[in-house]
Amino acid sequence: MDRRAFLKLSAASVGAVMLAPEAAAVKLPNPLARAPASWFDGEVSSVLTFCENCFWKCGVRASVADGRVWKVDGYAANPKSRGRLCPRGQGAVAQTYDPDRLKRPLIRVEGTQRGDGKYREASWDEALGVIASGMLAIKERYGSESMAFFAHGSGDTWFGEYLPAAWATPNVGKPSVSLCTGPRETASQWTFGRGIGGHEPIDWENTDYIVLIGHHIGEDTHNTQLQDFSLALKRGAELVVVDPRFSVAASKAGRWLPIKPGTDTALLLAWLHVLVTEELYDKAYVERYTVGFEQLAAHVQPFTPEWAADITDLDADAIRTVARELAAHAPRAVVPPGRHTVWYGNDTQRMRALYLVNALLGNYGVEGGFYLAQAPYLEPYPHPAFPLEPAAGGCSGASGGETLDTGFRARVDDGRFFAHTTAVQELIPAMISGEPYRIAGLIAYGVNLFHSIPDVARTQEALRKLDLYVAIDVLPMDHVMWADVILPEATYLERYDDLVAIAHKTPFIELRQPAVDPMWDTKPGWWIARELGLRLGLDAYFDWPDIEAYLDKRLRTIGSSLEQAKAKGTLVQRGRPYLADWEARNLNPFGTPSGRIELYSQTFADAGFDPLPTYEPPNDGPPGSYRLLYGRSPVHTFAKTQNNWVLMEMHGQNAVWIHTAEAEALGVASGDYVWLENQDGVRDGPVAVYATERLRRDCVYLVHGFGHRAKGMRVADGRGASDTALMSRYRLDPISGGAGMRVNFVKLVPGAPRPRLPSLRKLAERSV
Amino acid sequence: MTGAAASITTFYGAPNSAAFWHWPTLLHFVLVAVAGGVALLVAYRALSGARFTWRLPALALALIVLDLGVLWGESLARWRLTHVYLFLSFQPASAIWWGAWGLAGSAALTALLALGWGPRRGWGALLLVTSSLALLYPGLVLAANAARPLWTPLLLVFMPVTGLLIAWGLALLLGQRDLGVAVGALALAGAALGGLYLAGLAAGPGGARAALEHLWHEAGVWFALALAAMLVSPALLRRYPAVAALLAVAGAVLARSLLVEIGQVMGPPF
Amino acid sequence: MPRYAMAIDLAACVGCAACAVACKLENEVPAGVDRLWIRLEERGTFPDLAMQYRPEQCLHCAEPPCVPVCPTGASHVTADGLVLVDAETCIACGACIAACPYDARYFDPRGFVGKCTFCEHRIVQGQLPACVETCPTLCRTFGDLDDPESDVSRAIRAARRVDVLKPEQGTRPKLVYLNTPARFGLAAEGALP
Repeated sequence: MDRRAFLKLSAASVGAVMLAPEAAAVKLPNPLARAPASWFDGEVSSVLTFCENCFWKCGVRASVADGRVWKVDGYAANPKSRGRLCPRGQGAVAQTYDPDRLKRPLIRVEGTQRGDGKYREASWDEALGVIASGMLAIKERYGSESMAFFAHGSGDTWFGEYLPAAWATPNVGKPSVSLCTGPRETASQWTFGRGIGGHEPIDWENTDYIVLIGHHIGEDTHNTQLQDFSLALKRGAELVVVDPRFSVAASKAGRWLPIKPGTDTALLLAWLHVLVTEELYDKAYVERYTVGFEQLAAHVQPFTPEWAADITDLDADAIRTVARELAAHAPRAVVPPGRHTVWYGNDTQRMRALYLVNALLGNYGVEGGFYLAQAPYLEPYPHPAFPLEPAAGGCSGASGGETLDTGFRARVDDGRFFAHTTAVQELIPAMISGEPYRIAGLIAYGVNLFHSIPDVARTQEALRKLDLYVAIDVLPMDHVMWADVILPEATYLERYDDLVAIAHKTPFIELRQPAVDPMWDTKPGWWIARELGLRLGLDAYFDWPDIEAYLDKRLRTIGSSLEQAKAKGTLVQRGRPYLADWEARNLNPFGTPSGRIELYSQTFADAGFDPLPTYEPPNDGPPGSYRLLYGRSPVHTFAKTQNNWVLMEMHGQNAVWIHTAEAEALGVASGDYVWLENQDGVRDGPVAVYATERLRRDCVYLVHGFGHRAKGMRVADGRGASDTALMSRYRLDPISGGAGMRVNFVKLVPGAPRPRLPSLRKLAERSV
Repeated sequence: MTGAAASITTFYGAPNSAAFWHWPTLLHFVLVAVAGGVALLVAYRALSGARFTWRLPALALALIVLDLGVLWGESLARWRLTHVYLFLSFQPASAIWWGAWGLAGSAALTALLALGWGPRRGWGALLLVTSSLALLYPGLVLAANAARPLWTPLLLVFMPVTGLLIAWGLALLLGQRDLGVAVGALALAGAALGGLYLAGLAAGPGGARAALEHLWHEAGVWFALALAAMLVSPALLRRYPAVAALLAVAGAVLARSLLVEIGQVMGPPF
Repeated sequence: MPRYAMAIDLAACVGCAACAVACKLENEVPAGVDRLWIRLEERGTFPDLAMQYRPEQCLHCAEPPCVPVCPTGASHVTADGLVLVDAETCIACGACIAACPYDARYFDPRGFVGKCTFCEHRIVQGQLPACVETCPTLCRTFGDLDDPESDVSRAIRAARRVDVLKPEQGTRPKLVYLNTPARFGLAAEGALP
């Protein structure tokens, strides 16, 4: 008898109703069995702010009950979130209640070395006093320029811009430039005369054909971009993915091109070749908006699909077909720039090649291609003029070629590359060598020095040589526990920050405001910067009594107020997304020297660089090693979120991906633990093996951000391996200053022990 | 295909797919058989009019209390006093609801019989029903789960037969000599049903065969040994009744426990 | 009375787990147990590959095997067709966990059985379940199956294919999967709710 039939029969035979909704039992008043109370049972209030579990800056609504934030959701009126949130945004609240947080200022115990990790608690007054006297001593001995600031996060306006400008040092860097987006920004600046910015201006809603190159949408969960990508695919847009790995995006693609790592420029040159030689480019657009087509046409003649096929390990017909399909869908066809573009050291040229493909499709400033993002109108706070304006940049930093005379010594990396923005990793040699002058002090705000900057040994050597090293952070990260003074910052749910102006199709301003008071003795970044400024004699720049006064003054410049911003959260303005919008007002969006899209860059030629992109083969590794590729987990942001128990329950360790045939040859299987050892003998791990068909045989892949060695981060510590630790080398992009990181190779060393780690469940139960 | 490997790099894998019943539940499935079987013996003795003392019903009551104690001790809800709803609800489609009434009724009846209160035969007749419920319900609990291919409808018979075998085998060991034939018959039946069970899986659809392979991989040898023990025990009954009873009980306990533990595996997910 | 249902478009899902995290926090699901998870399956050999991320949770079956086995009636079906557990009368025996073909239920360490509720507390206020509201790929739709104009009804009508899990179990789930990638899929004529 069929068992389901049996079940029914058994029920029917006793004349019972199978489903007896809600009426089964006589309920007794039983306090012991009451269902647990839920946070939403009582009164819940909403606070509008924006998220900081990554740097996309989605507008959110924090739900507060009984003085605690329980849930964070997307805020429907915000153009970044549109009422939705990614896993990191959803899980961010667990960080605020993480018992491992830095709770009060710490000062390194006298007589210990940096890295020993021995600290004593201190008052804010003492800690800030120590920092101020250290900074003033450095200024007196070496000059104010000898203080460096590394900053990342919403508070980087204070520690990457405001305070260092008032203090007067040009040595300010953000990892989001030369360790991430630098090449695409520099290339865009010198091709289109506009940056890309923090929110890639792809006109997803109108595009019909998308080609992603090493762009892991889906594993990279930048909220709006993922929404737009998904909507485009639902609408029927075609997708081509170029990646050595079968990424999540590749699994959604009609065509996957599993390219040999490091040969993307050859592929792009071949596409240019096809577009030019088969006359598939948009002639009217090229004629009207570009310069240098003749030089480009001559330049790309040799770069046939067959030539590229040999280099890229792809099929020549597939290369040709994609170029033709791009052209057939143009201008509603787009090759987005991606985000992390520091790969092989020739990255600005690769990004130039990518932009030239787009330019020939005639899609820049046109529906279905790139829209023209604009920043909203907002005035700075009317402080006295700063002695200098550092050029840390951001995702969208300025990319000038010239050195500005500020009356102060030039930045220590000045002249080493073409772009004007700081290459943050190039400030480190000056800490060691003292050339061209000594960097003697460092304030690191929200930057993980050991998980973002390649060559960790060099960074550690530099930290040992500093006179003063201050870390401002939320958690006792690996590098934080090296500092002389550690300042505990409040999490984003507990603080105000400066206003954020988002360049977008609809430009907008977002307010960060606290949903709850700071836990323990933590303080917001603005408070720390101001208190430090006052102790450094910079009172003139900090004349505002508190952040509310500061924000209100700025908001009044656009006819709003803090009160209004607190109620609305996001203030949206109108944009000019397309060329037609600019032309209607007789405006030219192209900020290049020629005022047009520069297919041929005279500026590059004058500076001694190739005016048209060329292909450079990537380096080779030692025999038996694999190129180390890395990427993202949808539930993690860099190395910031690995102590968040909710997110770690989703993805609690990384694994080294290797092709099944290679794993078999090495005698390792999925789940085995190995060490990873790079070309310079640097070892990290143990890390689990993931044997898969999903990538080429010449590379391995690690999700970035794991492998913390930080005892105080009890959830993160010892889980997985760090790709950054294995990057003892990088190749400098001479144009953007970007640190090309995909030039490292690793071997798998079998037989590593399975790490013994406390259970996540136990760790989670400590949540406060 | 990639399940185990995928769980390393993906999110969650299948968080609720692990075994949900652990050793205390396995122990309960043995104890409830002993308690139910001894209660059935009490009912038989009470009805047959044979010599009857307070000892046997008291033992049955003690076993029921022990079983319920184990269940309560391992229950996550032990301090929530929700078990009262077993008796305040009407859930005739639920095997456990019947089991609860069977055990509670058996406890009350064995207590009355031990105390000698009321009509022995009347209580015996009722106890026949309640103890049968206690013996039958474990098989019903398992067989109701259509998605778990190792828990086939055959367990509706296999569980009470092996349950009774365990109880009466132990009773035989404790000196209830007249149960020898019954134990032998039950042991043979248990072995035969076990064989039939395996044959049914082997002849079943792909899911059943995959489940059989899983059973074989996890504990095939032990399961075979358990059936063999039941099979050979009748041959030893005459000469070595204690050894035979012990073998039969051990085989039955092992076979049942393996089926409860390993049977928690889910059928093919796709 | 509405007949609530959910549809998940697997062509859109990227397995980012935003739904799973939202569920965890919305419902204060304790560490170590989950109402919602994502299964990844890969098929093929390089470079001919296919992959599927599939979020899974309680399917709120129209014929739920987990309800009749409950000895106290704690596991029940509401008038709106939601399959719920009443913590006040649950004895945590696990019969429903055993009966569920989808491993959708778990022992809550607080002493009862837990599972997805389709965020009943939200839908009674006219909101969407937390997983649906937050999904950044817009792969989830929710609504009344009896209303042909509801989001879920429209999505099911527009789908190239509709699948249910384990149709042979006869559970008639009210959570269905749309547009399962080629090489995957369960296809179930007549198994739909």
